[in-house]
Amino acid sequence: MASSASSSTGSSKKIDANGGPDTADKEEKKEDRTFECNICLDTARDAVVSMCGHLFCWPCLHQWLETRPSRQVCPVCKAAISKEKVVPLYGRGSTKQEDPREKVPPRPAGQRTEPEGGSTFPGFGFGDTGFHMSFGIGAFPFGFFTSTFNFGDARPGAAPHGTPQHLEEQYLSKLFLWLAVLFIFWLLLA
Amino acid sequence: MANIAAQRIKREFKEVIKSEEVAKCAIRVELVNDNYTELKGEIAGPPDTPYEGGNFILEIKVPETYPFNPPKVRFMTKIWHPNISSVTGAICLDILKDQWAAAMTLRTVLLSLQALLSAAEPDDPQDAVVAKQFKENVEMFQLTARHWTNAYAGGPNANKDFDDKIKKLIEMGVDEHEARVALSSYNWDMERATEQLFS
Repeated sequence: MASSASSSTGSSKKIDANGGPDTADKEEKKEDRTFECNICLDTARDAVVSMCGHLFCWPCLHQWLETRPSRQVCPVCKAAISKEKVVPLYGRGSTKQEDPREKVPPRPAGQRTEPEGGSTFPGFGFGDTGFHMSFGIGAFPFGFFTSTFNFGDARPGAAPHGTPQHLEEQYLSKLFLWLAVLFIFWLLLA
Repeated sequence: MANIAAQRIKREFKEVIKSEEVAKCAIRVELVNDNYTELKGEIAGPPDTPYEGGNFILEIKVPETYPFNPPKVRFMTKIWHPNISSVTGAICLDILKDQWAAAMTLRTVLLSLQALLSAAEPDDPQDAVVAKQFKENVEMFQLTARHWTNAYAGGPNANKDFDDKIKKLIEMGVDEHEARVALSSYNWDMERATEQLFS
């Protein structure tokens, strides 16, 4: 029954099976029940936990959310819940667990935030900062506008407002804008 | 899919049997068939209500999509209650409809129904006749509900006056249940009930 042997009772497992129910066996069962999915009542597979702290199998919770897309609430406490706001639980060896219900989309990934500090100037490696520049020369005024308009766009992957990275990007953006303007004047004069 | 429903009912069934409410004889569940799709529930009438001392039998049908959708529950035992149809036993309870949540179990459903018996909601009625009586004449409602508990759910409190009136109508060739419904609907007014039955 018990899938995981706890360190204290691991050695006594066989004895339990022969000797019938004893306290160690009961304790183990109780421990198992703590990690039961609130929907299928089985030990949670591909476990996720909601912001309100309730544990589910991801396939079970996914099906619950699909059943009532307009009213997504926690099946236990009816708090608001969403696919984006559940946290997956990764135990040791959890990647080897096979999911019998393969039709279900993969469980949402955990969000990993880098620890504070240690951010250095990224230099001119544009790929690193998510900074993109396109510059085209076409029929004069239009080519100029298309290339400058690109700078105004909010690029996906740009750093959020207020961070040092954002300020650096703003600086680079202005720098290249002026370079482009100068380049066009040079073209006109030459 | 049906597998998850059966698996869960099996687990719940064990849980209910071991629960303390069963030990106190407040609720009970029985299997009706082997594939766990239909069950028979039983709840005791809560104390200090007209249903006290009665035992109410419920039909529980487990859909294939359980626990993502609620079980279908209805009263098999005839009951006089604003939120339960006195004709079909259909129940008006939010958790059996849109307020269902997948973590609810047979145990919590039965306990909720027991709570419904002690706290009727006449503004959201299933049986309009009963709800009207509840709002206009609570005492009459309580006497009628107690009488129905005695007649159908094995409740201990017989009402001699009501029983005599029903007997009279039976002697006139009316079916016992029909007589009871007619009298209950007209606040046990013999004349109006007779009028309705023979019109």
